[in-house]
Amino acid sequence: MSKVMKIEKMTKTYHLGKVKVEALRGVSFEINEGEFVSIMGPSGSGKSTLMHIIGCLDYASEGKYFLAGQDVSKLNDNQLALFRNKKIGFVFQQFNLLPRATNLRNVELPLIYSGVPARERKKIATQALQDVGLSDRISHRPNEISGGQKQRVAIARALVNQPSIILADEPTGNLDSKTGLDILNMIQKLHDEGNTIILVTHEPEIARYARRIIHLKDGLIDSDEVVA
Amino acid sequence: MIIQGLKIALESLWTNKMRSFLSMLGIVIGVGAVIAIVSVGTGSTQQVTSRIADLGSNMITIYPRTPRGQWGRVSSSGSQEKFTLELADYMEIFCPSVKTVILVKQISGRLISNEVNMNATIIGTGMDYAQVNNYEVDKGIFIYEDDVRDRRQVIVLGSQLAEDLFEDTDPMGQRIKMNYNGRIYSFDVIGVMKEKGGSMAGNLDDRAYIPLSVAMDRLTTHNYVDSYIAQAYSSDRAATSVKELENFMIKLFDDPDKEYFRIVSQDEILDTVSSVTNTMSIMLGGIAAISLLVGGIGIMNIMLVSVTERTREIGIRKALGAKNKNILYQFLMESLSLSSIGGVIGIGFGWVAAYFLSRYGNWPMVISTISVVLAFGFALFIGIFFGLYPAMKAAQMNPVDALRYE
Repeated sequence: MSKVMKIEKMTKTYHLGKVKVEALRGVSFEINEGEFVSIMGPSGSGKSTLMHIIGCLDYASEGKYFLAGQDVSKLNDNQLALFRNKKIGFVFQQFNLLPRATNLRNVELPLIYSGVPARERKKIATQALQDVGLSDRISHRPNEISGGQKQRVAIARALVNQPSIILADEPTGNLDSKTGLDILNMIQKLHDEGNTIILVTHEPEIARYARRIIHLKDGLIDSDEVVA
Repeated sequence: MIIQGLKIALESLWTNKMRSFLSMLGIVIGVGAVIAIVSVGTGSTQQVTSRIADLGSNMITIYPRTPRGQWGRVSSSGSQEKFTLELADYMEIFCPSVKTVILVKQISGRLISNEVNMNATIIGTGMDYAQVNNYEVDKGIFIYEDDVRDRRQVIVLGSQLAEDLFEDTDPMGQRIKMNYNGRIYSFDVIGVMKEKGGSMAGNLDDRAYIPLSVAMDRLTTHNYVDSYIAQAYSSDRAATSVKELENFMIKLFDDPDKEYFRIVSQDEILDTVSSVTNTMSIMLGGIAAISLLVGGIGIMNIMLVSVTERTREIGIRKALGAKNKNILYQFLMESLSLSSIGGVIGIGFGWVAAYFLSRYGNWPMVISTISVVLAFGFALFIGIFFGLYPAMKAAQMNPVDALRYE
């Protein structure tokens, strides 16, 4: 199996005035294509920082990060934007949909920034919304649909550019347990279809959906184990 | 990328209609005001200029003057008595640019018709007076050469005066009496002038005109006139004529400080009027431009608020792959769209305002292309200038912080 990403001795230090905060203190691991990995850890363990770096939203202080065969740690802002656009599909706890845009428009956004022509864009986005079971909510706005539906729009948006990694940050954190279960099943299904998934969570029951769990503690990997 | 930014910008403006409208209001008013004010300025200037041109052609008036007394000294006597008939002939000889010099003797007397009597200004002059003043006869004829030569007691009435003296009857051929200095003279009405209104010499319509010789020899016993009206050969030579007349008078009166005479030319009045209206236009245009600037600051304010308010949106867009440039263009296009849409509405607004003002002020409506282009260009410039800072602020946001923003 080919590697999708690889992190080597990654550190991240924040300078808050005179205080140095070491959020990551040398983290190394690899993820293969088609894996379903959970990153777990209590708050302050560095998992958000790690997620931001994996998602190309932030730079590491030291260490290397390879994504889809390229050294991301050497890229500039614009190249990082391109990687976020093509290689990463984000699913956030807060959904992060544009409230005033229609669901279709929201799903189209990554396609707009990758320069897909309007007609094709609409076709792909419509198909993606159909795939998550929202064909009847295409022209609704996020405030007109339920939380579970919002997260499904977000998943559709994460998928349209066929990313290398789907990065889900507490995707069920704002949902009741029943709709949370629906979303987890959907993520499970995406994994079954061959997508690489990284699920960031602090809840063990949710982490258990993954096949592999990486525990972070105080900026270091505490454990990295495959779940049966 | 720019077109895409424009599309996103228009979408976002459309979703915030009220805010968009309010923030472009400053530009609308600014552009409208510039266009309306410049239009009013040029329109009224044109009107005044054409009125001044109507007053007469290439006219230069020479008045006698009494110098001011200084430090309690009694002022010396004026130069009125030197304004003789012969002087006019000398002027024509010594000033080659002057075509003709007309003599004007102004007196006031009481005119008595069958129905009413009233005081009026009576001008004693010659036949050229009407032509030089662009003054036309409505009925009958103006004073003719023979009338002056033969001292005929004939009178031509201004339109207003004719109406006042002869309400319903036709004044032509009527005889009217004039009381001047307690003596009664009778005159035959030979003409009525067309309505003219103001002129360089005041309102011509409520005056009467008689042969100069009658005014000088029969009514008064003066051998001097009240003013000369010189006419230059052409408007190109008007300025030269003024110089020649000035030199002539300075030498004649031995008066280098020009204390004993005053020369007023039509060009001079025109210059004064147009410089006044120009100053007014520039001043008002400046005020309007300041309102445009204030409108621009309003746009910047709204854009800054909008950037802060949409920090999360910026974060989302960046997470989904928007480059800094995409965000920059989006916000720049927003402010540019605001100012250009505001500019277009402002042009319409200014046009309508200029139309109603020109109807109200009764001058021609002139919308100069330059003012439209300038006002719109300035609005666009303001859109870019005041949009740049908020847009840069948005573009440089760190995606992690922007996403976290509540």
